[in-house]
Amino acid sequence: MKQSAIIVIIAAVAALLPLMTGENPYVLGVMISVLMMAALSSAWNILGGYAGQYSFGHAAYFGAGAYTTMILISTFNVNPLVSMAAGIIIACIIALITGSIVFRLRGHYFGLASIAVAEIVRLSVLNVDFSGGAQGILLSDLSLWGLDLNSKNPFYYGMLIVLVVTLGITLYLRRSKTGFYLQAIREDQDAAASLGINLSFYKNKALLISAALTSVLGSLYALYIRFIDTSAVLDLRLSIEIILTAIIGGVGTLWGPVLGAVLLVPLAEMLRSNVIGETLVKHGIVSETSGLGLFLKDNLAHAHVLVYGIITVLCILFLPKGILGLFRRTK
Amino acid sequence: MIGHILHINHVCKNFGGNVAVSDISFSVDEKQIFGLIGPNGAGKTTLFNCITGFYPVTSGTIIFDNKKINNLRPDQVCHLGMARTWQRVKPLGSLTVLENVMIGAFSVTNVTREAEEIAIEQLASVGLSDYAAKFAGSLPIGLKKKLELARVLATRPKMLLLDEICGGLNHTETDGILTIIREVRNKGATIVFIEHDMKAVTSICDSIVVLNSGEKLAEGRPEEITKNPEVIAAYLGGGQNAND
Repeated sequence: MKQSAIIVIIAAVAALLPLMTGENPYVLGVMISVLMMAALSSAWNILGGYAGQYSFGHAAYFGAGAYTTMILISTFNVNPLVSMAAGIIIACIIALITGSIVFRLRGHYFGLASIAVAEIVRLSVLNVDFSGGAQGILLSDLSLWGLDLNSKNPFYYGMLIVLVVTLGITLYLRRSKTGFYLQAIREDQDAAASLGINLSFYKNKALLISAALTSVLGSLYALYIRFIDTSAVLDLRLSIEIILTAIIGGVGTLWGPVLGAVLLVPLAEMLRSNVIGETLVKHGIVSETSGLGLFLKDNLAHAHVLVYGIITVLCILFLPKGILGLFRRTK
Repeated sequence: MIGHILHINHVCKNFGGNVAVSDISFSVDEKQIFGLIGPNGAGKTTLFNCITGFYPVTSGTIIFDNKKINNLRPDQVCHLGMARTWQRVKPLGSLTVLENVMIGAFSVTNVTREAEEIAIEQLASVGLSDYAAKFAGSLPIGLKKKLELARVLATRPKMLLLDEICGGLNHTETDGILTIIREVRNKGATIVFIEHDMKAVTSICDSIVVLNSGEKLAEGRPEEITKNPEVIAAYLGGGQNAND
């Protein structure tokens, strides 16, 4: 089946999901997180997976979108869509500055520089006044063209739209000159240059596309939560989570990042809320008063990051090409 | 000047204090098959890297098709019509053979379908059609060399720089490559050819430059070169200097 048809079918199914889960805001919240991480990781994948340029600082572009949107709305009360466009511009400026300097170098310099840039952005935002500093920015009621933006539904569909657009762009790129060039750069930069590929131009192009999409997701997230601070939208943890999602799903594949998000986000959520431990105790499989029961009930919830980390390490050890890498065509 | 497509004028290349290429000058005529030979470490590949924009030259000028190309990037040199292959082949391993050649073809078209057509045609011309859907990384060395050739030919070069394209190949494979090179020349391209295999060089080249320790040792027609005592001493295996 054609990939574009698969995207449409999956998007249609995803669009109907909120109707089935009904009024449960918790489930809807988790699904929004899944869509957002799928889209973030897919956007990262254009640069990291196809062009082979690993960015460890995508939080900078996410934060650029989130902060631009929040500052413009809270200070100047601009239209949310306009604020999103402004966020894209800011993110692209940061991307261009980083890319035009660092993409001249080969090797791991871009990865290192991306961390540095993200930290510079984070610390700057933390230390200036108009960004709210450590207090962050809080937004009260929000609406757009009579649409109530205080509910979760608009953001579910917003995230879904951005995900579909990101997958569509990935699919288009993959079949175009740019996509082939990005893959050539990933495979061998010398060979690519000798075949007429302007390395820094195409790397910058991939970075700009990736940064712009990431910024839109940052704006959406900010409008959805209506509160941001640097630890929520500019943290290194976020950058790492984006990469892990892509790696575990399958780097450089169309569906890898989506699969990664569908598996990892609910897993993290289950560990955090300790669903597994409580279910085991509730159904009497593990006695509440036994040592294991006490551990599950009291400690596991606090150790969710540890468990998440162990699962991640196991995935990388045994599935180095990601889950989709298992099913890769081999000829 | 007329008829010359490439001029190398007093080109030097130093790496720190090491002189890799020292004051080399020669010209290549259009539609020639031009051989660049010399023992290991003579500076052949360094010179190639200078010509194709991978290394900046320390001094001297390189003129291709009446344009000075010293300070151009490799991709700009490619777009002027000069393409190269690599001594150690550089297949784009996780792409298919067809996709590898399409990457080359994209330098003359922006349309995927056209790139694919050019690539299919080019694969047929080097006899790789059966392998189009294989991953480039999975090919044996002989076919990887052919793939390198198909890939640069897809950029439609005026001039082709081949760095030991026959290295590591058996006689049948070498003959196959030489046949393709002659065909390419007959269609109007100029070829500069680094090679160790003297038989291949003398059988195919119109003109040869011999490098030794970064300097030009001799220049001339194949039959002159093979009789030149200095060349024999340095390269063809005579006496103490045969360090190859």
